[in-house]
Amino acid sequence: MEKKAYKLVLILLVLSSVFSCGAERKQKLPILGRQEFKEVNGTLDTIFHTIPDFSFVDQDSVTVTHETFEGKIYVADFFFGTCPTICPIMKQQMLRVYESFKDNPDFAILSHTIDPEHDTVAYLKDFSLRLGIPDNSVWKFVTGVQDEIYEIGSANGYLVPVGEDQDAPGGFIHSGAFILIDQEKRIRGIYDGTKPIEVGALINDIPKLLAEYEQ
Amino acid sequence: MSSRDLKSGNWTLGVGSLKLIFVSLAMLLLYACGGTGEKSDNENVQSRLTTDDLKMFAVGQQLYKRYCINCHMENGEGLGKLIPPLKNSDYLLNDVLRSSRVIKYGLKGPIEINGQSYNQPMPANPDLTPFEILELLVYISNAWGNESDVLSLEEIENHLKSN
Repeated sequence: MEKKAYKLVLILLVLSSVFSCGAERKQKLPILGRQEFKEVNGTLDTIFHTIPDFSFVDQDSVTVTHETFEGKIYVADFFFGTCPTICPIMKQQMLRVYESFKDNPDFAILSHTIDPEHDTVAYLKDFSLRLGIPDNSVWKFVTGVQDEIYEIGSANGYLVPVGEDQDAPGGFIHSGAFILIDQEKRIRGIYDGTKPIEVGALINDIPKLLAEYEQ
Repeated sequence: MSSRDLKSGNWTLGVGSLKLIFVSLAMLLLYACGGTGEKSDNENVQSRLTTDDLKMFAVGQQLYKRYCINCHMENGEGLGKLIPPLKNSDYLLNDVLRSSRVIKYGLKGPIEINGQSYNQPMPANPDLTPFEILELLVYISNAWGNESDVLSLEEIENHLKSN
C-alpha cells in the first residue's frame, strides 16, 4: 500500500511537470473591457471595447495615430520623464519586451508621457536615446495634448488611471500597467509593468496574439 | 477487527501521502517555472566586513529596496544612459562620503560617471537619518562587487552639516 502511494506521487509529479510549463500556443487570449450586445438581423452581435482614435507626436516629431498601428499589435504604457517612483523599473521591464520583439514588423510599443509640459519631443528623443532606443521604428514615445492623453488612458481607452495629483511623488499618479492591444484595437491583456514575472507573462502572450493573425 | 484497523491505518497513511503530494507539487511548480534565480550579491562581503558592518550592510539592503531600487535597480546597474550605475561607479567609490549629501539632498544637473554623462535629477530623501544613510552607503559601496572602507557616523553627520 505504501509503495502504491509513492507510485502515485511519482506519477503526479511527472504529470504536473508536463502540464505546468507546457506552452499552450493555441490558447487564445481573452478580450478585456465591457462588452455590448446589438441585435443585427435577428442575431446578437458582440461589440467589444476598443481603443478610440488618437493623434500624438513621437520622439522623431512624427504624428502617431491609430492608423500607425494598422496591421500591428502593440503594447501601451504611461510614464513621465522625471518620475521618481515606478517609471524606471517599468522602462527596464519594457526594454525586455523591446529586446524580445524588436525585429518583428507586426509589433510596436507606444509609451505616452503624462507630463507633456515637461516631456517635449526633444526631451523624449534624448530620453529614448539614453534608454538605448535608436529611432521610432518600434518603440514610440509620444506626447500631445494633456487632456487627450488622460482621456485615452481612462475608461474610454486603456482602462488605467492617469492624472495629476499634487500628493503623489513627482506630481502625477499613473498606473504601472502594460496594455496589450490587438489589430482590432481591443485590449487582450493588462500586466503590471513593475513586476518581472508579469512582464514575463506578457512576453509569453505576445507570440500567442501574433499567431492569431498568421495564415 | 484487524482488517478494519488496517484499513483505517491505511487511511491515515493516505492523508500523509496526500500532504506529501501537495507539497511536492507546490515545490515542483515553484522550481520548474521559476524565472530568474536571485543572485547573491554579498558573497565575498561576509569575509571582508566585520559583524557590525555586516549588520549595517543587511539593513542598508532593506533601505535600498525601499528608497533606491526603483531607479538604480536590483543589480545596481541603473538604466541605460538615463540613470547612472552604482556598481563599479567611480563617482560613488572615489568619494563615498560625497554621496551622503546626494542621498539626503538629491542632485540636479549633469554628472559624469565612468566617462558617461548623466542628467536625470535625483530626488532628495530628507527623512533619512545620518545612521540610515551610513547603512545605505555600507550597502551600495560593498554590494555587487564594490569594495570600500566603512565610514563613521561622525564623518557623515559632519559632512551633511557642511555646505
